[in-house]
Amino acid sequence: MSEPQADLVTVKVDEREIQVPKGTGMVETAAAAGIEIPVFCYEPRLGPPVGACRMCLVEVEGMPKLQAGCTLTAQDGMVVKTARTSDQAAEGQNATLEFILVNHPLDCPVCDKGGECPLQDLTFRYGPGNTRMRFPKRTMEKPIPISPLIALDRERCILCYRCTRFSESVAEDGQLVAINRGASSVIATFEDEPYKGHFSGNVTEICPVGALTSTQYRFEARPWEIQNVPTVCGLCPVGCNITATTREGKVKRVLSRNHPEVDEGWLCDKGRYAFDHLEARDRITTPLRKRGLRRFEASSWEDAIDEVERLLRESGTTTATALSGGESVEEAYALAKILRQGLGAHNAVLPETPSQLGGSPLSAIRGTKTIAVLSDVPVVERAPIVDLWIKAARRSGATVSYGVPTGAVGALITDDAAKAAGIVAEHVYVLPFTPNGRGVADAWSAAGDEEPVDEKQRVLIISGDEAATDPSVRALAAEAETVIGIGMFEESFRGIADLVLPGTSYLERDGTTVNLEGRLQRQRRAVVAPVPDVLAWLSKLGERFDVELSPHASVLFDEVSERCYGGVTYAELGEHATLPPLAAEAQTPRLSVDSTQTQGQAERSPGLRLVAYRPLFSGAAVERTPELAFQRPDPVVELSREDAQTRGIRNSQTVTVSSNGTSLELRAQVARDLLPGAVRIARDHAGDLHPTVEVRP
Amino acid sequence: MAPDIVLENATTELAEYEATGGYAALAKARAMTPEAVTEDLITSELRGRGGAFFPAGRKWSFVPSKEQLPKPHYLVVNADESEPGSFKDNEILSRVPHRFIEGCLITAHAIDSQHVFVYIRGEYSGPYEILVGALEELKDRPDIRGDVTIVVHRGAGAYICGEETALLESLEGKRGQPRSKPPFPAISGLYASPTVVNNVETITTVPPVIAMGGAEYASLGVPNTRGSRVVSLSGNVVHGGNYEIEPGMSIKDIVYSLGGGIPDGRELKAVVPGGSSTVILTKGEIDVGYDFDSLAQVHTAMGSAGIVVLDDRCCIVQLGIRWSEFYEHESCGKCTPCREGTRWLTAILRKLEDGRATQGDLDLLLSVCDRINGKCLCPLGDSDAIIIASYVAKFRDEFQAHIDNGACPFGGESSLDGVLAPIQMHTHSPVAEVPA
Repeated sequence: MSEPQADLVTVKVDEREIQVPKGTGMVETAAAAGIEIPVFCYEPRLGPPVGACRMCLVEVEGMPKLQAGCTLTAQDGMVVKTARTSDQAAEGQNATLEFILVNHPLDCPVCDKGGECPLQDLTFRYGPGNTRMRFPKRTMEKPIPISPLIALDRERCILCYRCTRFSESVAEDGQLVAINRGASSVIATFEDEPYKGHFSGNVTEICPVGALTSTQYRFEARPWEIQNVPTVCGLCPVGCNITATTREGKVKRVLSRNHPEVDEGWLCDKGRYAFDHLEARDRITTPLRKRGLRRFEASSWEDAIDEVERLLRESGTTTATALSGGESVEEAYALAKILRQGLGAHNAVLPETPSQLGGSPLSAIRGTKTIAVLSDVPVVERAPIVDLWIKAARRSGATVSYGVPTGAVGALITDDAAKAAGIVAEHVYVLPFTPNGRGVADAWSAAGDEEPVDEKQRVLIISGDEAATDPSVRALAAEAETVIGIGMFEESFRGIADLVLPGTSYLERDGTTVNLEGRLQRQRRAVVAPVPDVLAWLSKLGERFDVELSPHASVLFDEVSERCYGGVTYAELGEHATLPPLAAEAQTPRLSVDSTQTQGQAERSPGLRLVAYRPLFSGAAVERTPELAFQRPDPVVELSREDAQTRGIRNSQTVTVSSNGTSLELRAQVARDLLPGAVRIARDHAGDLHPTVEVRP
Repeated sequence: MAPDIVLENATTELAEYEATGGYAALAKARAMTPEAVTEDLITSELRGRGGAFFPAGRKWSFVPSKEQLPKPHYLVVNADESEPGSFKDNEILSRVPHRFIEGCLITAHAIDSQHVFVYIRGEYSGPYEILVGALEELKDRPDIRGDVTIVVHRGAGAYICGEETALLESLEGKRGQPRSKPPFPAISGLYASPTVVNNVETITTVPPVIAMGGAEYASLGVPNTRGSRVVSLSGNVVHGGNYEIEPGMSIKDIVYSLGGGIPDGRELKAVVPGGSSTVILTKGEIDVGYDFDSLAQVHTAMGSAGIVVLDDRCCIVQLGIRWSEFYEHESCGKCTPCREGTRWLTAILRKLEDGRATQGDLDLLLSVCDRINGKCLCPLGDSDAIIIASYVAKFRDEFQAHIDNGACPFGGESSLDGVLAPIQMHTHSPVAEVPA
């Protein structure tokens, strides 16, 4: 509760005296003294300790029985002995491991967790060397696919309840539960439905044994064959810190890499599982030239670069560029430098406005008491981890309001800076549309500041698959004489591009991105792309236009940094990037311009304003990850409580959504984060509906 | 001489109860300040009758004032009586429901609570109907009810929900699994608010305590065990049933004077003094007073006052299996030693009973007991370990005979006929007919 944390107490752990704030957990207290108290169920990110596994037993002077270290808090004068100095504690921990192993299958040689398993490690250090159990072990049906992404092995499960606590108290989806009792207790999904949710994969990571494993990683690698590359996710504006596990040059899995200010070690399922797109069947591996209406033929690199040079020389200043916001700062800068300095082509469609580095860390949300969310699109669909921070704040007592708040708030989260006007908030977070749109805008401005010419655009360069599949960019492409694409997948460019150069993924490049907080983070190449690095061939192309371009991200970054980021060097961006405080003159809320959604601007009319949002589980990478198909949103229309009431619509009822001549049948869902006057449908399910719709039972 | 305090003037009728002075103690208590009521309870030395024997008045005094902690206060009554051998609360609720309710209302006054929850064992459909009927009678008696709401909640067949924190979890709609303490319920109990959890018998003793005054109640019984105690007598005894006794009466007198001794001319073998979870007493140990201090001297306890009498037919290994199976079946599965250890104990005991065990298995049995005991989250697993270890300690020859003979010398399961039902016969029947 609200106990003052300030007063320090002195605790003795294994003869070492340590001073910690009163009430500090004993596991942390011992750690501060450099002593390990082994744990299975204890995981502070999952809420209060539960004391279930009994791995952390310690001896406390004056207490007759061993105590669970995880639920014990530091009190002045406490004398604690761990297994290092107490035979009783060592015996207790040995006993716990013996009990855990009584029914554990010990199939470590074929278990994905083998080699990186806390149960193996702790058994090695604290457990018995042999078994005294002479009875048949409990067996169960296995593996059980609790979703297309996760396999459950109930025999290996040691019932630490980490996964169910994650489901209940972090993701708050309540889908993972324990059923039955005693030795028959098992983990299950509620009503045996698939575990569908934005964050389900985290349970495979917090599981201390091989009970919950990723189906993608199943039997793919052993820990001694893999390399782990620390990098940053490039699929949404949060920029979660991740570790990409690779084996023989292929990404095999993605794990979270706890950045306490950004993600606290959680990762959404898109970031965790969508790496399959690297191996997509329609991956572009050579330059492609359009042949016929919808086909491509391979071209040599020499020919392709020659042709790009020829096309660009012809179109000169009338070349336009559409950027997707998924590029690294350096890729965008290299492209911008060729176009702006080599050609004088200053015309660009940018996904966002430039960034201001610095601001409030996402973790500050949890500390606030009042949160206002002003977003048509569910926060979880735009920047999933932000939703977890909001939930964490609410669990510790914060009130979350939707719509314009009546007074000052602790945190304001909005999808549009314009909506923040006039609201007093301690921490403001404007959710961008794209992973690195602000960094891309920075890079574009760093390469030049001239105004574009007002002439018909002859050549359009489309950078990235997200831009190539955007309806407004496709409309521009239809007007251009020639379209040059840079991207990863044939399907994105089929029918619109005349020439396509292969692009790379965030997992295949070195570079930097700017996340929604205004934090510059470094991405590291986890695997070598099947195509040349974008910076390498852009550097070659630059030579043709006498533009000096290094093929190295570090050099390009330093050029951008000099103009935009106060001269911070590439080397200074560590593995856990820091967030500078926002400069005083930059305290006004950042501006964000909506480029991909125009429905939101509709006039107030008698009908309901349609928000057709892009769900998290959509886009080029998700479409190329078959395991994620089940995560796509259900065909529902979300309404505010007021609009549902006035129309006599109940939750889960099938309703008709109609606009000017088109109509759709969808299931209704009352959403408390929607304001009256708007309805929300995932873009995949919105069909041809117009910006103003009516909903009828 | 047995006092008549808890079960005195048994009636289920409101009018009859009032005619014999019922609800007078409530009026008396309401005329007192809550602090004075609690003080009187402390003076009475009444201790909790659920098993832990914690002083009731002191428990109430731990509830912080609403100024200190501005949250509602809850009184939760533990009527989830499930300890094998105990059935006293069943009888109390069935025979003196209004005294129980009066106790609830006095306690609610003492701890400044407006919300009382009675968590009653699901299988107790009889007492449930009677209690609900009695509450029905109070519907148009706001003078008695005051501003207090009493909710009767039926359990779903889990022994562990008799553990106070598991009970609170269950009441909150969660899995019935114990919480780790601290925080104690008095500070953070039901819905994280200050909560007093008391047993049915404790609560039903409150009105007589208030009526006669704490000091007079404290003059009954022996030091550390005051007033009266309702004991459940069962097993191989002529007159099984509930008896209200004055503490200090010897177990021998309870078995032979009140219970009429062992039927069919058989010999006494052992007595379980306070429900399955208490250390067994051999026939040579039963000349001991039934009170806290006397029983502590022979390393056992009154527990929930379920006295089970065993005659010379009983196989002690078989008894161990029955009860270990019970604990295995009722383990909630939260903590490792209990979940895995109780199951392992049962398996080893079965091996012994079947005559397949070696000397090493007996050592293993004791080692597993030792490794469970004191390592669990709540007393359930500890209880299994403690009683099995006590059986080996006191009847080692019998365990040895199972190994040496390669078979059970008592003829197996039938040795427990008339003592307790096998686990397969434990049924959960929370009767469906709940009055609207």
